[in-house]
Amino acid sequence: MATSDRDRGFELETFQWVGKKVGFYGSILIIALVSVFPILWMLITSLKQPGNVVQFPVQYVPQDPTLENYRAALEQAPFLRYLFNSFVVASGTAILDVFLGSLAGYALSRLRFRFKLPVLLLILGTAMLPFIARLIPLFSLARSWGLLNSYLGLIIPYAAFQLPFAVWIFQAYFKELPDSLEEAGLMDGLSRVGVLFRIILPVSAPAMATAAIIVFIYAWNEFLFALTFMTEDSMRTITVGIALYQGEFQYPWGTISAAVFMSVIPLILFMLFFQRKVVEGLTATGKA
Amino acid sequence: MADTAETASGAAAQDPAAGRQNRFERYRDLRFTEEELAVILLTPVVSFLLAVSFYPIFDTVMASLHTGYVLEIEPREFVGLENYRSLYGSGPLLDQFLNGGGFWNALRVSLIYTVVSVPVELVLGLGLALLLNREFRGKYFAQAAILFPWAIPTVINARIWAWMFNGQYGVVNDLLVRAGIIANPFPFLAKPDAALGAMLFITIWKTSSFMALILLAGLQSIPDHLYEAARMDGASRLRQFKDVTLPLLKPTLLVALIFRTLPAFQAFGLPYGLTGGGPASATTTLVLFDHQLTFNRLNFGEGSAAATVITLIALAIAMLYVGTLYEPEVR
Repeated sequence: MATSDRDRGFELETFQWVGKKVGFYGSILIIALVSVFPILWMLITSLKQPGNVVQFPVQYVPQDPTLENYRAALEQAPFLRYLFNSFVVASGTAILDVFLGSLAGYALSRLRFRFKLPVLLLILGTAMLPFIARLIPLFSLARSWGLLNSYLGLIIPYAAFQLPFAVWIFQAYFKELPDSLEEAGLMDGLSRVGVLFRIILPVSAPAMATAAIIVFIYAWNEFLFALTFMTEDSMRTITVGIALYQGEFQYPWGTISAAVFMSVIPLILFMLFFQRKVVEGLTATGKA
Repeated sequence: MADTAETASGAAAQDPAAGRQNRFERYRDLRFTEEELAVILLTPVVSFLLAVSFYPIFDTVMASLHTGYVLEIEPREFVGLENYRSLYGSGPLLDQFLNGGGFWNALRVSLIYTVVSVPVELVLGLGLALLLNREFRGKYFAQAAILFPWAIPTVINARIWAWMFNGQYGVVNDLLVRAGIIANPFPFLAKPDAALGAMLFITIWKTSSFMALILLAGLQSIPDHLYEAARMDGASRLRQFKDVTLPLLKPTLLVALIFRTLPAFQAFGLPYGLTGGGPASATTTLVLFDHQLTFNRLNFGEGSAAATVITLIALAIAMLYVGTLYEPEVR
């Protein structure tokens, strides 16, 4: 890191160039390794024979690797069911937020109307409110409306909590579109609604993907509400399932590792496929 | 919602000539004015947020002024500031702040957690962003790897690290012993200070990459010609960083700060999954404390009082940042 920022005021000699390359790729490699090591460690632990999990000094290459821990984990808790629950909740939240967020984002970026600033501040301001202060009343409400242990009971609060980010992503995207898009549509005799649905929304697929992915990851990862609202085992999301999983034996670290590794496989694939979109979504929030 | 109702009726009043029939035709054609369309598009969003985000805050404040054990939620008895008084305990303010238990302990834990982790994340994130702000082979995979800690749910990260920090068989202990830094395995999560330190380490590990990506956006929006000009003037790399990068990065730095400070102040999943708040409440953050108070001890009144205090502090933090940052940019 230090080498890359060094003064370039003099001619670079070959050995310096090599040194810089090695320093640069070396630091990238170390950082990447530190980032993925814990997941790697879960994989290593999960493949060990139960007896080898708890020994010191630690074994870095599993002796006689086994899938026994995976079998035990799947037998003891419905991890596939948890994954399914998380998937339903996260997808539902993403769809709702893309729908509401795109409409609001369009109004806030491309329409002229009174009270625009207060409305924008109101929407963004909800992002500052602490979750715990919304948890207790929403818990009581969900209980009286029978929404505990239901997918909708989590989708509704999650969608509300992430809506400001979705609105922000969409309004930033719409602001960059040329005005001529709408003018052309209006000249062709489309109404404003027609312009929105036939012209603007079809070209906003990139923003929709970005918003959907950011919201999906949030909903997939959320813990406080998922823990409190889903009290039945069969309705738990994967985060809660893992957090509450105790296992049957005194040192269930082998099966816990297997469960954890299974739970992050979807995320690993997700990150490899959609990384560009994830980065876009995060950087969109950074564009003040 | 008063303003949207007002704008809707205002728009209708502007057109007195248009009778009922006319108006109906207009709606069937969906030919709204910009303002009408804005009202139609924003009403669902604003009412949704008012119902799910604002109303609960109001309800929490009201609940904090009443008794409210879960089994006797109705009828609730008005008790004024009684819940706040029992949260406060007894003793002089400074003494409570420094040595008090319960709520005060949780407040200290959350403050230390926030004040230590956020600046460290900012510095590490900036370093990472500077590394990633260039093209190199394998960047895609490097970026994916660096984002892993952020993408994995906090509470699952907590479980992973609980195993890695295990006092007898943890890989952290093994590495430290092999490196000769310690002679015997150390029970990190069983000692108050070490447990808090471990928690800080994990959150910094997890969120520095998030910080980096937000800052990367800021770095990429700095025009190249500014650096060229600086180079022509013979400014060193360090000088360019100080005089071009940092000043132009300031708005992004503030956004990054606000996006990390509020979540850090509300940490819950990490202490829950790592230590359960122990040992001896050393890692019990405010939200964990409040959650236990409300859902384990079923004291909704005091739990609501604590939630109200957390809200006030969070709003104060937000105001502090927005006061420095706020430059409205709305067309």
